[in-house]
Amino acid sequence: MRVLFHIVISAFCVSLYSISAYAVSEIAIKVQHFEHPQGNAQNVALHLNLSKPTLTLSANVVLKQKSEKDWIQLNLGCEIPENAQFGAFNCADSSLKNSRINLPFSLEINQLFSHGVPDVKATLQLKNANFSDEAGLHAAEKLSGNVAIALKQTGQVWEWKTALDWQSGEVFWQPFYLANGGHTLVANGSFEGETFTVNTANLNIKNVGELKADGQIRLTDFKLINLNANLPDLDLSTAYPLLFKPFLEKTAFNNTEIEGKAALSLQIVNTALKSFELHLKNVDLADKNQKFALYKLNADLPWSFDNPKNVSLSYESGELLNLPLGKTKLQAEVNRYSLTSPSILLPILDGALSLSDISAARIGGQWYWHLSAKLEPISMVDFSAQLNLPKMQGKASAEIPLVTYSGGTLTTDGSVVLHVFNGTATVTQLTMQTPLGIAPKLNADIALRNLDLGELTRTFSFGAIEGKLDGDIDDLELQNWKLVQFDAMVQSSPGKYPKKISQRAVENISALGGGGAAAAVQRSFLRFFEQFNYGKMGLSCRLRNDICQMGGIESTPHGYIIVKGSGIPAITVMGYNQTVGWSELLARIKRVTDGNSKAIVK
Amino acid sequence: MKKILFSLVLLLSALFTSQFVAAAADLEINTPAISAIKNSMQARHGQLAAYYASGAIGLTNDGLIAVRDANAVPLKDRGGLNSAVAAENADRNKLYKEIATANGHPEWQAEIQSTFAGRWIDKAQAGWWVQGAGGWVKK
Repeated sequence: MRVLFHIVISAFCVSLYSISAYAVSEIAIKVQHFEHPQGNAQNVALHLNLSKPTLTLSANVVLKQKSEKDWIQLNLGCEIPENAQFGAFNCADSSLKNSRINLPFSLEINQLFSHGVPDVKATLQLKNANFSDEAGLHAAEKLSGNVAIALKQTGQVWEWKTALDWQSGEVFWQPFYLANGGHTLVANGSFEGETFTVNTANLNIKNVGELKADGQIRLTDFKLINLNANLPDLDLSTAYPLLFKPFLEKTAFNNTEIEGKAALSLQIVNTALKSFELHLKNVDLADKNQKFALYKLNADLPWSFDNPKNVSLSYESGELLNLPLGKTKLQAEVNRYSLTSPSILLPILDGALSLSDISAARIGGQWYWHLSAKLEPISMVDFSAQLNLPKMQGKASAEIPLVTYSGGTLTTDGSVVLHVFNGTATVTQLTMQTPLGIAPKLNADIALRNLDLGELTRTFSFGAIEGKLDGDIDDLELQNWKLVQFDAMVQSSPGKYPKKISQRAVENISALGGGGAAAAVQRSFLRFFEQFNYGKMGLSCRLRNDICQMGGIESTPHGYIIVKGSGIPAITVMGYNQTVGWSELLARIKRVTDGNSKAIVK
Repeated sequence: MKKILFSLVLLLSALFTSQFVAAAADLEINTPAISAIKNSMQARHGQLAAYYASGAIGLTNDGLIAVRDANAVPLKDRGGLNSAVAAENADRNKLYKEIATANGHPEWQAEIQSTFAGRWIDKAQAGWWVQGAGGWVKK
């Protein structure tokens, strides 16, 4: 400051001297360089024109803040009123420029002082302005608009008032992007020391909604100390990409299509979130990857740091992993970072999932929850149709005393019982990881008991087998809903019942083993029989690393027995391949079932 | 004597452990989870390739990617650029974890990640930016 002062004084002396000697029409001052603790200036050229009807001042200067790397060129062209007390400074063609900033602007200063104290009234107009920070995370292009500023000093306090009219241009302000103008802000407040206060702010974001806010910001670190914000009527189809998506990148809601209305209010007190209230009105939301959807969602979600609140949520219909969800109304109590509800009923297909003793808590940024679940019987016909499986008869029901979710893993303690094919399939030790993620994982043990082979083989178009089937599939693992690991053994159930296998089924079973037996049947007298009796059948597969280690009900020196004949006519089917590539086996099964279903169509 | 021999074995195994790990891990192992992650990364690559080429993003030396110069991307795409980088890094972290798990050694994740870091950088096309010891370098 000392340097600047010195320059101004010497320039003033020069002009006085000149005036006494000549008729002076202009004064030019040039300074090569000067430094100041806050910044440096170079090539300062001030040009005061005294000959025109109005005084004009043009100033060209290259400036640099100490903290900045780049120099910036400031050009000002101003008309100066004869009486600086009442007239307006009009700086029409002015600009601020460097490699990353090009801000053409005009500035009209209507007042600088009143009664000897600073009392500024000014209007700044930006015309096609571009700027960007070095990282490109805060930038604007072709920005045009008006900002009216009023600033008045009263003692230690500065009072301010502004009206901003953003007419056109786009802005990216990490993480927000606004494509077009049409937004306005009217606000007023004060600042004193390190505290910037907003008494009222009214922000209107075109096509999105209106925000009313007041609060305080600490200028040293730009932290919000206090805030009351109210967004009474938000259009979610436009507000979601602008306001919500940037904060939901790491959640399941990062790729959602959403429509409807919302109202949000929130309070921050002493830099901490004190309360908020979110209302959703007739919202339709659908994941673009078709993992989930909810329609006609209405919710009333209040939250307070101090008091427990009741939240409620309802939807008309929805979908979760291709399963349709029926009309539901949920209620729960939220107590700071935990949520509890005595019961929730989620209708699914013709049954329902009944959840009870629900308790959830958010600890260290992670959700933990537990509940007990009961699946009221749902029809397998609908269930299999929804999941694009072959049409299955029967019912699925489940009773799981304890379901827990912790660290992204869902664990169950209990069993899911599917009543299918006149028998049961009991799923235990069921755990799931990131079911809505990109690579969901499921682990379980499954016990099959007394499945009706007749119905089973008809359903999967395998060739008729009469009998009953038991099976144990342990250490089952699905990744991305595909089988990667299990230890499975399926075999005919113990007990007395008719055991018959058709020639087609024999062919198919041997085709799975890589051929051989089918040709043998064709060559022998056995080809005259439609079906055969068997005593026992069974097949095991231990799947690891895409290789299935196969076995049957008995081992022989060269292989294993899959079907052991009994009575007349009897047939025994052998397997010789001890290891089969799993993908190859699946392809074989598909060929068999596809081929057979075509045959049935004919 | 037995004690000395035992110490010697311990010493040798300590010396060679890291080499054994690198040699034993099958980086090309495939599981449905790995293939789902690779498919997701493959689908995103079309979008990222232009960003690599323009220098908007680069390959970091820890096997991830980062925004290098958002100015190379139009304003309207910068939010998408950030999401794409976040999603790609989430996938990459999952990929390293799944490869380690599929190898039966979840504890190898960090080592697999650093092996991949070198691979990605080696495979990067000319003109892409990669992170060296001293910062960003154009290949």
